Amino acid sequence: MLKVSHLSFAYERYGTLPNAQVLKEVSFSLNAGETLLVLGAPDSGKSTLARIICNLLPRFIAGSISGDLSIDGESMGQRAPWDLTDKVTLVGQNPQEQLLMTTCADEVAFPLESLGIERTLLVKRVHKALRDWGLEEMADVNPQEMSGGERKRLLLAVADAIDAPLWIMDEPFDDLDEHWRSQLLKRLLRKETAVLLFGSRYIDEFRGSFDSYAMLSDGVLTFGEEESIVLAYDKECDARFSPGVGEISIGSVHRFAGKGLEIVHPRKSVNSTPFSLQVKEFHVESGEIVALVGPNGSGKSTLSRVLCGLDPSVAGTLHIDGVAKDQIALRTQVGYLFQNPDYGIFLPTVRDELGWSLRHDSHLSKQVQEKMIHSSAELFHLDCDDNPTMMGYGAKKHLQAAVYHLLERPFLIIDELDSGVTYSAAFEIISLLRMKGAGIVIITHDRSFARNLAQRQYTIIDGEVRETEVGA
Amino acid sequence: MTVNTFIAGRGFLYLLDARSKLLLVLLLCVMVFLPISQWGLWLLCVFAFLTAWHAMGFTQALQPLRAILFVLVLMTLFIPLTYRDGESLLVIGRFTVATVESVQNYSFLVSRFLAITYLCTLYLWSTPMADINLALRWYGLPRNAALVLTLAFRFIPFIADSFKMIKDSHALRIGEQSSRRQRLSDAIPTITAALVYALKSIPHFAMSLEHRGLGRSGGRTEYRKLKAKGGLFTQMLVSVMIPTVFWLLFNTL
Repeated sequence: MLKVSHLSFAYERYGTLPNAQVLKEVSFSLNAGETLLVLGAPDSGKSTLARIICNLLPRFIAGSISGDLSIDGESMGQRAPWDLTDKVTLVGQNPQEQLLMTTCADEVAFPLESLGIERTLLVKRVHKALRDWGLEEMADVNPQEMSGGERKRLLLAVADAIDAPLWIMDEPFDDLDEHWRSQLLKRLLRKETAVLLFGSRYIDEFRGSFDSYAMLSDGVLTFGEEESIVLAYDKECDARFSPGVGEISIGSVHRFAGKGLEIVHPRKSVNSTPFSLQVKEFHVESGEIVALVGPNGSGKSTLSRVLCGLDPSVAGTLHIDGVAKDQIALRTQVGYLFQNPDYGIFLPTVRDELGWSLRHDSHLSKQVQEKMIHSSAELFHLDCDDNPTMMGYGAKKHLQAAVYHLLERPFLIIDELDSGVTYSAAFEIISLLRMKGAGIVIITHDRSFARNLAQRQYTIIDGEVRETEVGA
Repeated sequence: MTVNTFIAGRGFLYLLDARSKLLLVLLLCVMVFLPISQWGLWLLCVFAFLTAWHAMGFTQALQPLRAILFVLVLMTLFIPLTYRDGESLLVIGRFTVATVESVQNYSFLVSRFLAITYLCTLYLWSTPMADINLALRWYGLPRNAALVLTLAFRFIPFIADSFKMIKDSHALRIGEQSSRRQRLSDAIPTITAALVYALKSIPHFAMSLEHRGLGRSGGRTEYRKLKAKGGLFTQMLVSVMIPTVFWLLFNTL
């Protein structure tokens, strides 16, 4: 079905590096109905390989390519991406990059319209795909108003509706809650399609399910037995980062608490009852790590925006050390690391980004500021001269964390840190942020991640935030 | 990269077909440049505002006004100064600030501007983008041109949405309330970041379009179908009659 021979690829420019070699002599094949899991740390070239197979690279991002790629015995060299619509489906890591239309139904319908599928069948397939991925009632909703997990399910519904014989999935479990992860795995293991899955996390959930296993590291694809590949991957991730570094130093203990909060979030694209969330009691103290979990679309990010003062609540109050805080006051005390790190990047270099966080500290001399910037960059594995907009997704997450490390907010909310970085990198970032005693709320879909880090947990169940057992 | 301009609401706007509504909006937009009395123009503005209020609520109805407020302020400041002829209305010392004619011209320009803003906004707010695409094609616009146009309409709010998220992220880093001057200087990196983000999304957007089959030869089918309640002919007739009645009532010929 898919045959890749001696494939090498170098971006014309990758970050600050010219002619960065991302793939080196990659060779493999995948037969119909066969499943292959490729493990690779973030920025190891997984997305690049996925896009090359779909003929999207180097068409849209300049780079030099060599080697052969064929699907069903036909070389892909001269084929355009649209010729592959019914042959290969790509489910990317970041759904935002792939969504095109203004309603879920139109999104699913778009590729089917391109394929010229007769309308009655088209309507049937659109409805079935939406139903299978729990989006039937959201057919007219604008994807922009959906949560990250719902958007990922929409991409999966698109893939299901096209029903191509080859699925390429780039970190498909990211953003999905436990129920939908298990649904996806069941779908993949039906062996109706060949599956090439790129992953860096949820490895325990993948284990034992694939026909073959490989690891992508330094541009080289290595095949092996499941156990040896997983061990090699774990070793590589641990070598890159140092989990659990740093001692916690808590000066004075602060307490951030909310009582009787009621949050309403209407959707503009449909006339439906506005989404609402009740929080009877919520608190976090200095040095504490609290997990906030809940199914896709349950309102984790909506709650976070209220907690850090970006959005108002309809009722209830938020206190720090017993003093009620308004939205502006909350912004100075509670930091929020957005799931998408691109929203936190403004300036041309890492040095500028980090330095900008210190500009309000007028008592700090230039030399002290420069020293702080350098030490923070070093802690978070950043190069001060790098251009943030050109950095990889994982590196941007590190930069985002470094910014808040310098800002020294007493409380931090971290939205899906574990998506786009390895576990060890995520552990390391949290340990570094916690070093100065910050109370941290982590939003995650990964219960084992929460279990390993959090002391307490809040779960959103049926529109209500309740304290539950960690990892439950 | 999907940002909708459509807002769910109620009222006759949502009952009209995208094609007849487009005709109505275009005819009314042409109408405001014809010799119409000031009363007629202001009545149209009030009617458009009340329709928006009824359909989407008061706060939402104020949005177009907020968006053009800066331009309206500039018009208020400068239009009276550019028309110097006619009877003096407001004189400070020896300087005539405004004449009767300048106020009339100001009223014409502002009401036209408001009417066009509200009419076009109401069309975009009350019509799903996919229906706009179908309507444009019904009027003979080639498929790809209609797609480009609707994508452009989506891309502008996408930049606005990214700008909001980036501004929020920025606000959290600033923390305390800063001075107006500081906020103005902080806006530059925020706007730059939003533009960079929007520009970076273009190749991904193009990748997705081609990956989903845009560019394939052979016929495309359609998921959506435009349906006109009561028949397209009736709706078209109503769309022509409203501007005609308006013209008959308020023309100054």
